[in-house]
Amino acid sequence: MLDEIALMQTEAEAAIAAADSEAALEELRVKYLGRNGLVRGQFQKLGSLPKEDRPAVGAALNQLAKGLEERLEARRAELAAADADRALLADAIDITLPGRSHRVGKRHPLLATLDEMVAIFLGLGFRVVEGPEVEDYYHSFTALNYPEYHPAMDEQMTFYCGPDVLLRSQTSTVQIRAMEHMEPPVRIVVPGRCYRRDTVDATHCHTFYQLEGLLVDEGVTFADLKGTLEIFAREMFGERCHVRFRPDFFPFTEPSAEVALSCTLCEGGGCRVCSNTGYLEVGGAGEVDPNVLAGVGYDTDKYTGFAFGVGVERFTMLRHGIDDIRLFYSGDMRFLGQF
Amino acid sequence: MRVPYGWLMDYLEAEITATELAHALTMGGLEVEEVQQWTSEDGTASDQVLLTKVTANRGDLLSMIGVARHAAAVLGTSWKLPDIPWNLVAEPVSGQTLVSDGRVTIELADPAGCPRYSGLLMQGLTMRPSPQWLAHRLEAAGMRPLSHVIDCTNYVMLELGQPLHAFDYDRLRDGHIIVRRAMAGERMETLDRQERNLTAEDLLITDPAGPIALAGVMGGSSTEVGPHTTRVLMESAHFDPTSIRKTSLRLGLTSEASYRFERHVDPNGTLRAIARVTDLILATCGGEVVGKALDACAEDFSPRRILLRPRRCNAVLGTDLSADEMARCLRAIDCQVTPCPEGLQVEVPRLRWDIEREVDLIEEIIIVHGYDKLPLTVPGRLAQSGVLTRRQKQVRLVGEVLRQCGLNETLSFSVFGPGDLDRLGLPQEAPERNMLALGNPMIETQTHMRTTLLPAMLEACETNVRQRVTDVALYEINKVFLPRPAEPLPDEPLRVAGVLMGSMATSDWKSTLDRGQVAGGPQVPDFYTVKGIVQQVCDALGVTGTSFGRAHHPAFHPGRCANLLLAGQPIGVLGEATAEVQQRYDLPARVYLFELELEPLLAAACEYKPYRQLPRFPALLRDLAFVCPDDAAHDAAALETLILQSGGEYLRDVAVFDLFVNAERLGAGMKNLAYRLTFRADDRTLTDDEVDALIERIKDTVTSKTQARFRDY
Repeated sequence: MLDEIALMQTEAEAAIAAADSEAALEELRVKYLGRNGLVRGQFQKLGSLPKEDRPAVGAALNQLAKGLEERLEARRAELAAADADRALLADAIDITLPGRSHRVGKRHPLLATLDEMVAIFLGLGFRVVEGPEVEDYYHSFTALNYPEYHPAMDEQMTFYCGPDVLLRSQTSTVQIRAMEHMEPPVRIVVPGRCYRRDTVDATHCHTFYQLEGLLVDEGVTFADLKGTLEIFAREMFGERCHVRFRPDFFPFTEPSAEVALSCTLCEGGGCRVCSNTGYLEVGGAGEVDPNVLAGVGYDTDKYTGFAFGVGVERFTMLRHGIDDIRLFYSGDMRFLGQF
Repeated sequence: MRVPYGWLMDYLEAEITATELAHALTMGGLEVEEVQQWTSEDGTASDQVLLTKVTANRGDLLSMIGVARHAAAVLGTSWKLPDIPWNLVAEPVSGQTLVSDGRVTIELADPAGCPRYSGLLMQGLTMRPSPQWLAHRLEAAGMRPLSHVIDCTNYVMLELGQPLHAFDYDRLRDGHIIVRRAMAGERMETLDRQERNLTAEDLLITDPAGPIALAGVMGGSSTEVGPHTTRVLMESAHFDPTSIRKTSLRLGLTSEASYRFERHVDPNGTLRAIARVTDLILATCGGEVVGKALDACAEDFSPRRILLRPRRCNAVLGTDLSADEMARCLRAIDCQVTPCPEGLQVEVPRLRWDIEREVDLIEEIIIVHGYDKLPLTVPGRLAQSGVLTRRQKQVRLVGEVLRQCGLNETLSFSVFGPGDLDRLGLPQEAPERNMLALGNPMIETQTHMRTTLLPAMLEACETNVRQRVTDVALYEINKVFLPRPAEPLPDEPLRVAGVLMGSMATSDWKSTLDRGQVAGGPQVPDFYTVKGIVQQVCDALGVTGTSFGRAHHPAFHPGRCANLLLAGQPIGVLGEATAEVQQRYDLPARVYLFELELEPLLAAACEYKPYRQLPRFPALLRDLAFVCPDDAAHDAAALETLILQSGGEYLRDVAVFDLFVNAERLGAGMKNLAYRLTFRADDRTLTDDEVDALIERIKDTVTSKTQARFRDY
């Protein structure tokens, strides 16, 4: 009898495992556990067994019924899960199709670079001041210590609107405007647009951006200028970047320096970007000429100052590998959307 | 300037290659842009040529000895002059404006313009070509050899920096040189065969018969040295830089001489140069000197004396140099330095006209000491934090909002032309036509400072379309330039402008998913998109009191154009460009534009917005639709106002959610406008009955006061 039960268990379990639908499982349940099922049939035979065998066989039958019930339930769950999986699979979509979103606009790369430059000087305690792009002769030249009829003016390639009205060729004009309204200490940067009569090609444009800096206070030295620009260079291009000063001439600074940064692409070894010099010229700087300070009524014995002006286009082109300056003014969505 | 290395090394005592020298000069402030290999046209000579770029203050570097002197200073070596036959000249005497030896008379009639004029007469010359070595040197320096006399003047100019001029003595009236200003109406023919009209500002070399040279700029053809010249009067003079520059600028005439005189020539170099050039001429052309060089000199050109305070020097530079070290640096540039109680008394030779003040000496000290030895320090006192002003932050915020709205930032030129306004369709009397004109524009389409950003927006669209990019969304924040009456400088207010065309999504594809729902598809802008963007800008700035009014602008569709109003005043325009504008810029789709005055918006902006309590009780929502004529009396704002007026205090929000126009279903000229109304009380939950009563009141008001009919769903 016990052998018979074991055999039935083996057969039933195999049948349950092989069942592949809810209906087949129901059929098996009826076949084994139904009112007229095989397990019940065995229970009915219990009475015909010797009295001493009945508890063991009864227990085995109960075990069998419970086991089959569990098997059926487990298999049913398995089949349901598989069904759900199949349904989800049928709902699968092509995830390689392009994403869709409302487009988010981009900051112009020139202005993004300028923002970053300004941020460094904000961190050094400089404030941002702006000034007019159409200027008078006085603020453009006279107050900046340009002698009348000086050849240095040739370099400015100025656009004129009249004998006394012109488009500023450098942001230095704002030095004067700022100092006219402030007492030292003056600690400002001036981001802005400048104009020179330069024929437009891949590397030149009549419109360009500069960042001017001015610090006037007691005891501001030429070494402070170099140190300040060194911090700027490192923040812009990393710890290994350093500043090189070379004598230069600007009427409004004395001593004056051409500012170059060590080329971080070749680390001074010389490459195409730095024309094999290891350095990139980025602007001009110097100690503010006493004539300029005296012109705005500052006490030149008490106060000294430094000023610098650096271009923005070159930094921007360098960081992004842009090879044509005209792209900045193209309005080309394909260009502007990249940054 | 072209500086042949082999020639330069005649005067520089140093063991150094051309490349090393180029580097040392560059770091010392004389930039060498390139070292070129040069071979003469006849192939028999070669050299390396340093191409120098001389700053405008350093006229003293425009000669071989100038470069040698500078190189010696930065290298710490010495330099030397060529052999000068000093016996040909007399001791200079200053204060003489008229000198004469019978054959030659020199008269300085304008000592301010010409404070020194040295002259020397040679005779018995035979005109010959220059020896090959001299011709080669000129060629290497970029000058074409002509005849020996002319070549020698050029050679000595390049060698010593002193421009010279040779006159044919026999074509000169009485051997009498008068340096004076031109008289009104005077004319002369210069060596380039051009007839020049002169003004009273022009400095002239004349003889009693009239002009013979444009002083310091170019000689005259009447006294030109020719193949048969035997007697030459050599001029070696000093002119006022400003005078030379004015004449050169006015006539558009520059020469090697004027270039140097503009940048200042050593006033003490006239006699040296005349002796040197005479020596070179006689060596080839034979002949002899008649008498000695004459020297009319009106001014005292003895060295300038400047006091240097070592403490001040270190205070400006941030260095710790000793007075001895400073003296060494100054002696290296040929200054005489004498210690005195206040510091150092420095005598600066006149060839360095640019050194006038203590601070100029300080610069020379750090140049010789080396800019690379400058310490790196940071300025000590910090009296403020670096923060942006409220205005600066708000301008940045406007840009940020526009980018979030999907517009890329663009930049365009500040210059444009009247043609841009024509294209925009602006009439002749439009205020935008009041523009500031450039006096010297570069191209004919960029002649004025712009008064509106709209043309730039449309041009950007045009550029993109040409590149087959038809989805455009751009903005620019920039200045316009508005002339002001009785003010020389224009007003430069900030404007913000934008343009929308085509789709605003990253991708346009459309999908139909389960249950037939459609997702995606082109996000095409319309008037309300551009209006929404403008509203976002106002909202971000916290500007209240703005509204929109129907507007007319020549560039905009008359029925699809609005002004942004602030306290009732128009401060901007937005809408759909006219079909004509679209056509003129060759654009394939409708274009939406806006341009706002940023200044009034910034002035009305609020810095910190006050917090509004979040609602504590739930709201009840009701939808309400009206069918009404599609006219101004029934525009969305009119209906909304009526709804708000009749809705009572619990009506918190009225929002349009549908506009439907269909002649067949609603009748011609009719529209259906649907609103969603939000009712809420602050202290309790409203009941349906309360709100239903309010809705009835709203329906009654709207239908009784307008021709609107309530529409049941």
